[in-house]
Amino acid sequence: MATEHMLRMGDGKRIFLTKEQILADLKEGMADAVDLGSIPELSGDELDKLLEIITMPARMVGVEPGKEVPVTHDISTIRLDGDQGNSGVGIPSSRLVGCMMHERAFGADSMELGHIDYSYKPVKPVVAQEMQAMEVCQQNMIIPLLYGAMPNMGLYYTPDGPFENPGDLMKAFKITEAQESMEHAAKHLTRDIVWIMQRMMSAGADGVNFDTIGAAGDGDLYASLHAIESLRKQYPDIYIEAGMAGELVLGLHGEMAYDGVTLAGLWPHQQAPLVAKAGANLFGPVVNTNTSKSFAWNLGRAVTFIKAAVKASPIPCHVNMGMGVGGIPMLETPTIDAVSRASKAMVEIAGVDGI
Amino acid sequence: MNKEETFKKLSDAIVSCKKDAVVAAVQSARNEGIEPAEIIEKGLAAGMNEVGVMFERGKLFLPHVMMAAGAMEAGVSLLEADMPKDAAKKKLGVIVNGTVEGDVHDIGKSIVSTMLQSAGFEVHDLGRDVPLQDFIDKIKETDAGMVGMSALMTTTLPGQREVIEMLKEQGLRDKVKVMVGGAPATQNWADKIGADCYAENASEAVARAKELLL
Repeated sequence: MATEHMLRMGDGKRIFLTKEQILADLKEGMADAVDLGSIPELSGDELDKLLEIITMPARMVGVEPGKEVPVTHDISTIRLDGDQGNSGVGIPSSRLVGCMMHERAFGADSMELGHIDYSYKPVKPVVAQEMQAMEVCQQNMIIPLLYGAMPNMGLYYTPDGPFENPGDLMKAFKITEAQESMEHAAKHLTRDIVWIMQRMMSAGADGVNFDTIGAAGDGDLYASLHAIESLRKQYPDIYIEAGMAGELVLGLHGEMAYDGVTLAGLWPHQQAPLVAKAGANLFGPVVNTNTSKSFAWNLGRAVTFIKAAVKASPIPCHVNMGMGVGGIPMLETPTIDAVSRASKAMVEIAGVDGI
Repeated sequence: MNKEETFKKLSDAIVSCKKDAVVAAVQSARNEGIEPAEIIEKGLAAGMNEVGVMFERGKLFLPHVMMAAGAMEAGVSLLEADMPKDAAKKKLGVIVNGTVEGDVHDIGKSIVSTMLQSAGFEVHDLGRDVPLQDFIDKIKETDAGMVGMSALMTTTLPGQREVIEMLKEQGLRDKVKVMVGGAPATQNWADKIGADCYAENASEAVARAKELLL
């Protein structure tokens, strides 16, 4: 009987597969990425290396010495004090304590300060409090501390915002009205992000993190690219990190363009040059995990997409690795066997500059 | 022009998402004496299927699907005079759809609703963060044949199971098909809670709904 290796399905369930089955899944996942993104396949050596990483006997693996990369953290300190099903572990701690723990205990190379609501719009009424928190953190920390949140353009639509919900308009077949609503919302989102960051920069922020760009579709990306462009012009030295929400930019508007490129339907390797053109320093590509496929399938697919993104990107790529992205299973607390293997593969095969 | 070419022209017009092109293609097909049912099934519906495939591959998006569906509706309206009364307007089935209580994710569920609607189902979209009892109430009110439930978080996923239990308690389970979806949902989860089907994306949701309701 052939030796079987423990790995997981995309929903975290443990499974046992032979090397032949793992290799078959790796190839199938890779083929899916190649087909969807029209990007090159991985080489035979790279597939062998992926197989080797997945079948390593240790529960946790790491990169080879000399291949260590910087780690950038999003979601702020919510992963520590959050306790309402939002990926946090429920440890009562102030944001200063949380940021310092990331710097001094967890090995973070850069960190982000963010508000519990974690979207730019709700920061507006509490911006003075956020400025004070940023100043206090900066006085106690050494590593670059960015201010971050989700662009989250959905908050600009009813019932959360002033503009009619495009989802409702679409259902009523009011397509033009839905597109106009998105265009209005995008303008407000750009304006709000810039306004907030002007204040956070005056409080000593080292830069800004756009976390989950495109979560509300192509309009969300459109607004974020314009905010990046505007901030780069106002602050030539600002550090701008632009992380995506998903692998594909959903065309909820369908016709929005930046620099002559239609945003709907862009894959990571097509997103990277645009983000760089807008003025970001760092791109955070995402590949989503399919919960019905194995870890091998997901990792083969994710590494293929990210390798192409790294190659196409004029700026460093720090791949998003965590619950449900980067080949990692969808679990509230992702398992270390999958996280460490996927991270090693991203560094040693996809060639990412950081995580 | 032979029939196959005409069907291709109708299908291409739908894929172009342009109402004028579809109306012109339908008019031309009518002039050639092709039966309305054939124009719809082999031309317009074939085009909508192609739109669905392109949607699934990220080549076309929701507004395009809507425009294509609108164009198809205009084409079908033209044919109504040639068809038996009400045949063109008959809905495929009634579906109640929503994101379960505690979960505010809306986009995926809305896309599913719109795709189902475009495919010819009567859809009652309850929105997001829907109290579980509301699903039951709406099913009763509309005499729905299917309920679709979305959950984007592992913490809200159990709401799908609770609605199934409530359907059983109310004696509705045999009359209502249950479809579940959302990032943490899987076929295994659907099997475990006794749902009738799991759909990974909007196109699959339409296919599963057709399998179960038609």
